Amino acid sequence: MSSAQNVEKKEEKPMKLEDILQSDIWNVDEDPHIIVDYNKCKNCPNKPCVYLCPAGCYVLSDNGIVFSYEGCVECGTCRVICPMEAITWNYPKSGKGIFYRFT
Amino acid sequence: MNNLPDLPTKFDVIVIGAGPSGSAAAYLLAKKGFKVLLIERGRGLGDKNLYGGRVYAPPIREVWPELDKEAPIQRWVTKERISMVQGEKVITFEYKAEKKISFVSYLTQLSQWMSKKAEDAGALFVTEVTIDEIVMKDGKAVGVRSGPDFIEADVVIDAEGVNRLLLERLGIVERLKPDNIALGVKEVLKTGASNIESSFNVGPNEGVAWVIMGDVTKGIPGGGFIYTNKDSISMGLVLHLKHSMNFIENGKFDEHVSKLVEEFRFHPYFRPYWKDAIISEYGAHLTIEGATHFMPSKFAYPGLLIVGDAAGLLLSTGYTFRGVDYAVYSGKLAAEAVEYARNNGGFTYENLETYDKNIRRSFMYNELFKHRGAELLMNNPVMMAKYPSILMRVMEKMFEGEYTQETIYNALMQALKEEKVGPFDLISQAFGMVKSL
Ligand SMILES: Cc1cc2nc3c(=O)[nH]c(=O)nc-3n(C[C@H](O)[C@H](O)[C@H](O)COP(=O)(O)OP(=O)(O)OC[C@H]3O[C@@H](n4cnc5c(N)ncnc54)[C@H](O)[C@@H]3O)c2cc1C
Ligand code: SF4
Ligand code: SF4
Repeated sequence: MSSAQNVEKKEEKPMKLEDILQSDIWNVDEDPHIIVDYNKCKNCPNKPCVYLCPAGCYVLSDNGIVFSYEGCVECGTCRVICPMEAITWNYPKSGKGIFYRFT
Repeated sequence: MNNLPDLPTKFDVIVIGAGPSGSAAAYLLAKKGFKVLLIERGRGLGDKNLYGGRVYAPPIREVWPELDKEAPIQRWVTKERISMVQGEKVITFEYKAEKKISFVSYLTQLSQWMSKKAEDAGALFVTEVTIDEIVMKDGKAVGVRSGPDFIEADVVIDAEGVNRLLLERLGIVERLKPDNIALGVKEVLKTGASNIESSFNVGPNEGVAWVIMGDVTKGIPGGGFIYTNKDSISMGLVLHLKHSMNFIENGKFDEHVSKLVEEFRFHPYFRPYWKDAIISEYGAHLTIEGATHFMPSKFAYPGLLIVGDAAGLLLSTGYTFRGVDYAVYSGKLAAEAVEYARNNGGFTYENLETYDKNIRRSFMYNELFKHRGAELLMNNPVMMAKYPSILMRVMEKMFEGEYTQETIYNALMQALKEEKVGPFDLISQAFGMVKSL
């Protein structure tokens, strides 16, 4: 249920986003709070979510967009930029999700 | 009851969201003897909150005169810096201020402090509860719903912040559009207090607020920020979302946004400030661009007051960001309106509407309209690119002559020619610009 991470990383050489994200803490919900209708993604010309979701939750694979909710930081960006209205967006269940400390 | 702990089912006031605006309203109302319920979706206090880093104190002192002594202040801002970046070239202005009117703080800790104040004053504070709906009856807000649970109140204060799902669901505001929204991505870099004090040349309680324009955003309207905490540095980027989408469409933005932040972190001019620091947190949050377009048409509705970011009360001039103090101040005005209503015959719309009037009379509203020109300017990618470029060329010609150097006048004329801007354009645009700022 809980996946508290918080492994601090030294700023040295370029890092993968997933390594940077290890500095954060989540209490991951069992159910996704964001649902993406992949059918609509097929017709989305620029796929801005791939570049702009700060947590890298949207990945473009050979089979199209793959979304994973676990690392979501609940910013709401994808909801705002999706041109196809492919996203059903909600907050995680009460008390779940990202847990900021020094921001 | 799977969502709410056992609570009374009727309150005078329910406040949704324990950010700065909600906590200020709940605090003042509880102090006046109202039965207040403050509801926050986060697990702890403040743990869903993220911002840049610097807060103006004076409006907040009106609510909490003890702010300077008690609040979790990291450093008082004594130096303001503005930089323009083009490749490795950088122009920086520094202003050493005399007065200490703003401070750097973690919003997580500051929100915690504020909501604790509300709780100590007697507000009932529940966390880990997400409100799903503001419940309306006959056109009037009568309470809130979380899952199957309904709680009733005479007045609901919406302090949900920029991502205003609840107001959208009510149909009071439109769905968020990229035109009025920017994304902020932030890293917190732990470097140690003595490193900060020596590299920024500041005293133990002093710090720096620094905004960065130009290439750090690849030309996307927005900018970079750096704020000094006690032993860490907050840094990151703010990117206008509509322009980001345009840049993606034109192929000018083709890497992940976190890479932009990393490139900023590795920029040779800035990196020495945090070289080999520990990344202690990474996160993101939306913010408002163009507050006057983001505001709801009214700040008060029957049974409902809208405060803080949800009300579009955030001033972003390009060199300063004032959201937290505005949020607190709007919470204060909301609390005063509720009190006025109680003392004048009840929570009728006519009475609560004093909040709407007082917002429109406030310094905040005035400021937001006064600075609209700056918004237009900052949201114009051509202007944002052109003027730093001219200045950069002037500097180059003035300082990078191997044997001979240009006079300032010639440097400027040549730079204008190279950037294809006529001197008269410059004068008239510069005049327009200065007026708008
Ligand atoms: C990148 C960035 C940089 C910024 N820099 C600065 C700066 O340097 N200085 C400054 O003064 N301001 C800055 N701001 C703006 C500032 O953060 C906001 O203006 C301020 O936090 C607004 O306060 P608020 O109380 O209105 O909303 P918020 O602080 O957003 O609080 C809203 C609260 O409501 C809770 N909530 C939301 N929905 C629900 C629900 N349905 N049920 C229960 N709880 C809910 C949230 O969890 C949150 O705690 C910045 C913002 C960003 C994004
Ligand atoms: S922006 Fe929306 S439609 Fe386009 S790929 Fe992303 S989720 Fe799919
Ligand atoms: S809310 Fe933000 S972090 Fe979460 S998936 Fe959308 S863009 Fe990514």
